[in-house]
Amino acid sequence: MKHASRPAAKLLLVARREIRARARSRALRISTAVVVLMMLVVGVINRASHNDTTANSTIAVIGAIPPGFAATVEKIAATTGQQVIVLSNPLADEAAAASALRDGTVDAVVDAATSTLQFHTRVDPATAALISAAWGRADARQVAISLGLTPAQVDQVTAPPPLTVTTISPPKSENGLGRLVGMVAAVLLFFCVSTFGALVLTGVVEEKSSAVVEILLSHVRAHVLLAGKVLGIGTIALAQFAVFVVAGLASLKISGTSVPTAVWVSLPTTMGWFIGGFALYSMLFALAGSLVSRQEDAQAASAPITIVFVVAYLLVFLVSGNPGATAPTILSMVPPLAPLLMPLRMATGSAAVWQVAVAAALLIGAIYGVLRAAGAVYATTLLHRGSRISWGQALRRTAPPAITD
Amino acid sequence: MLAVKDISKHFGTTAALDRVSLKLDRGQAVGFLGPNGAGKTTAMRAILGLIALDGGTITWDGQPIDAAMRSRIGYMPAERGMYPNMRVGEHVVYFAELAGLSRPAAEKAAERWLARVELSDRAMSKVQDLSSGNQQRVQLALALVHDPQLLVLDEPFSGLDPVAVEVLKEVLVERVAAGAALLFSSHQLDLVEDLTRYVVIIDRGQVVLSGDVDALRAGSADRYVDASFAAALPPEWAPPGEVISRTGNHVRLRVGAEVDGAGLAAQIRTGGQLVSYRYAPPELSEVFRDAVSGRGVASSIAGAPL
Repeated sequence: MKHASRPAAKLLLVARREIRARARSRALRISTAVVVLMMLVVGVINRASHNDTTANSTIAVIGAIPPGFAATVEKIAATTGQQVIVLSNPLADEAAAASALRDGTVDAVVDAATSTLQFHTRVDPATAALISAAWGRADARQVAISLGLTPAQVDQVTAPPPLTVTTISPPKSENGLGRLVGMVAAVLLFFCVSTFGALVLTGVVEEKSSAVVEILLSHVRAHVLLAGKVLGIGTIALAQFAVFVVAGLASLKISGTSVPTAVWVSLPTTMGWFIGGFALYSMLFALAGSLVSRQEDAQAASAPITIVFVVAYLLVFLVSGNPGATAPTILSMVPPLAPLLMPLRMATGSAAVWQVAVAAALLIGAIYGVLRAAGAVYATTLLHRGSRISWGQALRRTAPPAITD
Repeated sequence: MLAVKDISKHFGTTAALDRVSLKLDRGQAVGFLGPNGAGKTTAMRAILGLIALDGGTITWDGQPIDAAMRSRIGYMPAERGMYPNMRVGEHVVYFAELAGLSRPAAEKAAERWLARVELSDRAMSKVQDLSSGNQQRVQLALALVHDPQLLVLDEPFSGLDPVAVEVLKEVLVERVAAGAALLFSSHQLDLVEDLTRYVVIIDRGQVVLSGDVDALRAGSADRYVDASFAAALPPEWAPPGEVISRTGNHVRLRVGAEVDGAGLAAQIRTGGQLVSYRYAPPELSEVFRDAVSGRGVASSIAGAPL
């Protein structure tokens, strides 16, 4: 009988088992479905409120409208990107106006006789300003005509040449967007590590607290077992993440928002940091799981990692104002902080290529180092039943790994 | 051939293993006996490389046991351990694949072994939904599915019903006949004698006795006499030896192995008319009890030392 013992093949076997076991979890399926549903609902709500707030107002008039009023309103509205329609058929009286406002067929009513502008419950200042300006101009036009000016002269008086609007330097919206990308990436990584890192932790302890590990380790080396577990759970995490991205895009599509190109450009590198960050923190959770033999102790053992992770997460918001300063530059190359800080610095264009390279190299080295350490701790503490082993004890004990080949 | 030579392991100041040695050939079964806490489990874990030794060597065919060899060991830990949420069939296939079998071979082997332990109809059940006896059958399938050359089974019979015990015995006899080496521990000494003539008895981390069961029994300094009489024994009758039990018309005695048989029988007859008379070396259980309670018995009394 053939007995292959290639570690890579075993790694994939372990990962595959993990994926199957997790994908079968009803909790995971339900939570994913709920989040997707929420995203789509948000899209629908956004679309609905979009229609409310976009300047798409309908104005009705009572009495005789000054000639040119409707045209002036539409002209001014166009300069601010609004769309305002003045109904050509005037309303009969105030009662008709009130009912039209109440049932929402019109947003505002201009009463020519009393020179009033009426809204339903709330004054929309933009529309009010626009109507006032148009009203004033139409009034001025009538006065000018009554004074005997020619139509050309009237136009000169009532329609002055438009202002050209500029700024003295290009807008800083790129950086704002970069900050947003960095922060969103941090939030997603935080969510993902909190959920799936905990799965790695409990998964490791579940195996360790049962004798199944004794049989496993006779076939697989500890670090291969741990790496397979992280790979399997990581694949599930990425799959869920992909589902969320698709749902998010669908939600944006529904709400009618377009995604800026800059977001697409920073997506691949952000994903890279995401995967690296997930791998490092999952490995650390695996290491924490290796220290204990009971689920009750798992939370206490993982507390130091959680603290580092939360600090790294908060740093993103702390340095987002000035990601190019010295402190963020140095911190962004430290392995546990890099996956959170680097996407921000890269998206805001403040990271030099060499800094990215150094951070990536250190991160990969750290992932491998933690993996080997976790494997050694796992093998040495394997048969330790009972109380939790402290981090210090584990490092001292780890000197000779039991399993050698 | 498995050769365990002078292995030692200390946990703090306690010696879990103190220069333990044993040998095991292909096609041979050895019963590993000892009271709770004697070091059996620790020794078995050491063979699997699960603990780091303080001294000594463990070899298979003269080579240290490496990852490739470990995959050819069938191991059943003392505490049973499986993934409770996995389906029985998948679980057996998974372990076969981990041991190095290709997927088709693993599936075939799993099917065969589930049939062998009479659980074919439960392949789709989750492990946790099986009774503990059936879980143990799965555990056996996990240990055997990759056709191991060396079987290391820690208390394989504990918790099994009589039917399952028969199945397990059959399977083990068959594997040994096929050339596998079998090291197993058990507290049920009658089961041990059903499976093998060779035992290693360990106590407080040390091998106290090892060898062929018959030789160990014959090598004992004690002999036991069982005598039944037609009538109740007279109370004043003094039997020739240490009384182990005396009830109505039956007596069980311990005498020295050097005592002359003919003279002994004559003395017994003074108790009345004999219905049955048996003179024999101690049972394995008595050899075992004496060995672990420290009544001076030389180790490896007779036969080839293991």
